[in-house]
Amino acid sequence: MTEPTVSDDVVESRRPRMALIASSVVGVVMVAFIAMLALSDSGPDDGASPLLGNAAPVVVGATLDGGTFDLDDERGRWVLVNFFATWCAPCRVEHPELIAFHGAHAEAGDVEVVSVAFQNDVEDISTFFAENGGEWPVLAEDVSAFAVSWGVVALPESFLVSPQGIVVHKFIGGVTLADLESILAQARGLPPDPVESDLEPAGAESEEPAGDEVEHLGMGS
Amino acid sequence: MNAAIGSAGVALGLLASVFGVITLAVGIRSHKPLLLRRAGTYAALILVAGLIAAAAMERALITRDFTVRLVFENGSSLTPPLFNFASLWSALEGSIILWAVILGGYIALVAWKFRRRLDDPLVAWALLTMFVVAAFFFALMVGPADPFVSVNPPVGYDGPGPNKLLQNHPLMAFHPPMLYLGYVGFTVPFAFAIAALVTGRVGEGWLVETRRWTLFAWGFLTLGIALGAWWAYEVLGWGGYWGWDPVENASLLPWLTGTAYLHSVMVQERRGMLRVWNLALLCATFSLTILGTFLTRSGVVESVHAFSESSIGAWLLAFFGAIVVVTVGLIGWRGDRLRSPGSIDSPVSREGAFLANNILFGAFAFVVLLGTVFPLVVEALNDDQISVGSPFFERMTVPLGLALLTMMAIAPVLPWRKASMETLGQRLQWPAWFGAAALVGSVAIGERGLGTVAGYGLAGFAAGAAIRQVALATRRQGWRGLVGRTNGGMIVHLGVILIAVGIIASHANVVSREQRLEPGESFTVAGHELALVSVERTDTARTIRTTAAVRVDGGQIYEPQVNTYRVDGMTIPTPSVRTTWSHDIALTVSLGDWPDGPVQIRAVVQPLMSWLWTGALLMGLGTVLAAFPGRRRRPTDPVSGAIGVAEPEPERDPDAEPERAEVRT
Amino acid sequence: MSPRRRQLALSWAAVAVVVVAALAVGTFAADDPTPAERVRSLSSQFACPKCVGQSVQESDAGIAVEIRAEIVRRVQVGQGDGEILGFLESKYPGNLLTPSASGTASLVWALPVAGAVLALAGLAYAFVRWRPRDDVEVDAADRDLVDDALRSRRTGGATSDPGNRGARS
Repeated sequence: MTEPTVSDDVVESRRPRMALIASSVVGVVMVAFIAMLALSDSGPDDGASPLLGNAAPVVVGATLDGGTFDLDDERGRWVLVNFFATWCAPCRVEHPELIAFHGAHAEAGDVEVVSVAFQNDVEDISTFFAENGGEWPVLAEDVSAFAVSWGVVALPESFLVSPQGIVVHKFIGGVTLADLESILAQARGLPPDPVESDLEPAGAESEEPAGDEVEHLGMGS
Repeated sequence: MNAAIGSAGVALGLLASVFGVITLAVGIRSHKPLLLRRAGTYAALILVAGLIAAAAMERALITRDFTVRLVFENGSSLTPPLFNFASLWSALEGSIILWAVILGGYIALVAWKFRRRLDDPLVAWALLTMFVVAAFFFALMVGPADPFVSVNPPVGYDGPGPNKLLQNHPLMAFHPPMLYLGYVGFTVPFAFAIAALVTGRVGEGWLVETRRWTLFAWGFLTLGIALGAWWAYEVLGWGGYWGWDPVENASLLPWLTGTAYLHSVMVQERRGMLRVWNLALLCATFSLTILGTFLTRSGVVESVHAFSESSIGAWLLAFFGAIVVVTVGLIGWRGDRLRSPGSIDSPVSREGAFLANNILFGAFAFVVLLGTVFPLVVEALNDDQISVGSPFFERMTVPLGLALLTMMAIAPVLPWRKASMETLGQRLQWPAWFGAAALVGSVAIGERGLGTVAGYGLAGFAAGAAIRQVALATRRQGWRGLVGRTNGGMIVHLGVILIAVGIIASHANVVSREQRLEPGESFTVAGHELALVSVERTDTARTIRTTAAVRVDGGQIYEPQVNTYRVDGMTIPTPSVRTTWSHDIALTVSLGDWPDGPVQIRAVVQPLMSWLWTGALLMGLGTVLAAFPGRRRRPTDPVSGAIGVAEPEPERDPDAEPERAEVRT
Repeated sequence: MSPRRRQLALSWAAVAVVVVAALAVGTFAADDPTPAERVRSLSSQFACPKCVGQSVQESDAGIAVEIRAEIVRRVQVGQGDGEILGFLESKYPGNLLTPSASGTASLVWALPVAGAVLALAGLAYAFVRWRPRDDVEVDAADRDLVDDALRSRRTGGATSDPGNRGARS
């Protein structure tokens, strides 16, 4: 054991302290790395959507009752765009809440609900609405592609669209009447009339998302 | 009952490792060999404790004892026996038990192997290090990852069973233990590296003694990764086997640094150089296994394979931090004194090639680590969410892989110290023609793309060099030309080359198509006609099984299935994969999220997939061959004379002998 | 020796010609990717927003199926790769699997390149520095070390100090 140590001293005197320098650098980097890992909060933040504050993507098509629906024709009232499927359990759970919400505003006519199906059979949807009620337009056939343009990740998801056609809120998961009303009140209260007039030209000007959607629709059909 | 036994086992393990640490620390400090010799008892106790915990948990799983939370959450009366047994390691807490058992096994083996040298400070420090690691893992089971938490199940309760993804292929029962044998196995060389640093013992003694441990750990890790890839291929149903997923990357990282070490260690054994570098590589390998465990179990990165989130993350990160601080501190303190006076004479030499190999593997590991944690870095810096995926990894690692293939061709024929260009030109002449032939052949059959055709050429080049070495060695030494580190290493190289060719071919030529079909309809993919014959639904107690019968090219019927689990509605496909030596057809049936719609058939046709699995097998075989002592041996070895005696089956005896002789040193 | 040497040189020159020719054909005679190849490539460049750790290409989640269908539609009408990925990124931010080459994200590209340059520079420096040490002076301590190693080797390698093993090779 003693001999090597002697030789090492000789070596040491000839060389710079490379190992010390290198390990110090590595040590500092690693400590910073560990601190970063320790401080990182996991999980994506929910509720953010690139649509918020922008013009709503197109939703247009034949409804279950034989009519047509176009989101652009709904300017002037609030619209809740609801993505759902009958095979999705939370969607069935939220259905009564939607009925209540729709019913509460049916008289005033200030809010419309539209349901957009996702990967679902038309017959299933008809049966479902016949059994559970719901007197609002339902887009059922070949409409799954809308989910992509609305950035839907998992069902159910709903979007509140302002009378000016701006998406103001995204609901992830099942909605409740209380939630819907409070968000609606908030959306009405926070940006009152002046902002509406501000947003309208902005929405009309921001051709990019809107143009994109038109193009996309043209291809989809 | 089971919970009580298991908790007792965990407590015993923690106590044994803590007392082991204390005893050895006191023994080393006060130079009491008597205390040091007690290490064997503690090692045995740790193994027994781990076994008790594992046995208690297995008993709870098998008897469906739902009062244990792990069983409550992962057991089910409907799970088939094999998967029920494997539930142990499909849950986070259970995987820590498996880790502890394997660690206990390694510790006991080390204590047994070095039983006559327990009072040697090097061995004492190594065991002390391993006891600390064991104490940490048992502490995890006492603290945040207690597998034996009791719950009160309602009457008639039946659990959901383990993760459905892990339930439909028997490979899942073998992949994790194999991987853990690899991960945990690196604890041994790491412990000896720490011991070498602490005792300041220069020289190569510790390293020769841990050579085979490292080799086996590496071999297990290799097979574990390969089994994981195979599992992904057979289960996930997209025809892929490697997705650069954080969990996959976490297993690849220690493999990369471990591979670098296996090469550079030869420079140290042969020339006494790169001592500090090798220590650093071992420390990096071990800390990367812990970092990988942290990444996969803390929920900081998202992955298909990740365990559910838990507070265990903070502990693992703290342990990782402690390892980094200790090893970096030790190397900084001792490193300059350990450095050897040797020097590399010429870049064109075996040691020069190993150095280049190390830099390439280091760069590979750096790129993989960077890509894996980069989303976290960006989020920490400016709160942006970004993803880093296969496009990044492929762009970065393909050049590195091609460079590694080149090194694989050149390095084996290089002599130590210095090579003349003429020698090199002569030895590489036929491998080069072999590579050129592979390149021309691949272009001739229509392969295109610089990376692809260059890959075939370099793989041929490397294969030529490896075959040349094996041929020379067997001509000189007969069957002995296949064993020993150098020769076994060439077999491993051939396995790597098979895998490389498999990856290049399947990647460049994969054809996939998906279509929603009603029975009677058909579609064509890569010249194969697929006709959906029928779709059948069978109800079992656990699942609703949808089986699609698909006739391929008017002949064979493939029957891909998809199981919808009743418990949670989760759908898990069971692709139907037919493998031939030249290409695979994998069919997956899926319902999407749309149970009532027409089934979707996805077909993936890829060439040379079988080469991947053959290559992995060859790598495992080569590792075993490399572990046998080779031709070179000290004249003082008593056995070297006996080998010459031509007996029909002399393999076992002469091989077992020198192994012991060498380790005892 | 000389004819043999010439033969070797000729052989290598021939290999070089064959390799360069084959590489040139393999690189430049490539066809444009077919629409199916483009779809596959594009869908593997975008993360499935629902299922973590998998790309759209790999996943069978409902939304992944729809995104793949969207990519097919857009490829069919002849949109460029950048345009398609840009659209998807605008709907599902942060899911593009290729980090962008600008802003903070570009670090992921820059760091490996910087690392490679540093490593090569370090290697070059090491070789330059190592070279002159070929004729290192042997002093008394070194001789003692060798003597000792030889002595312990002669005594049969059964010493308890493995530290001397290195001197044997």
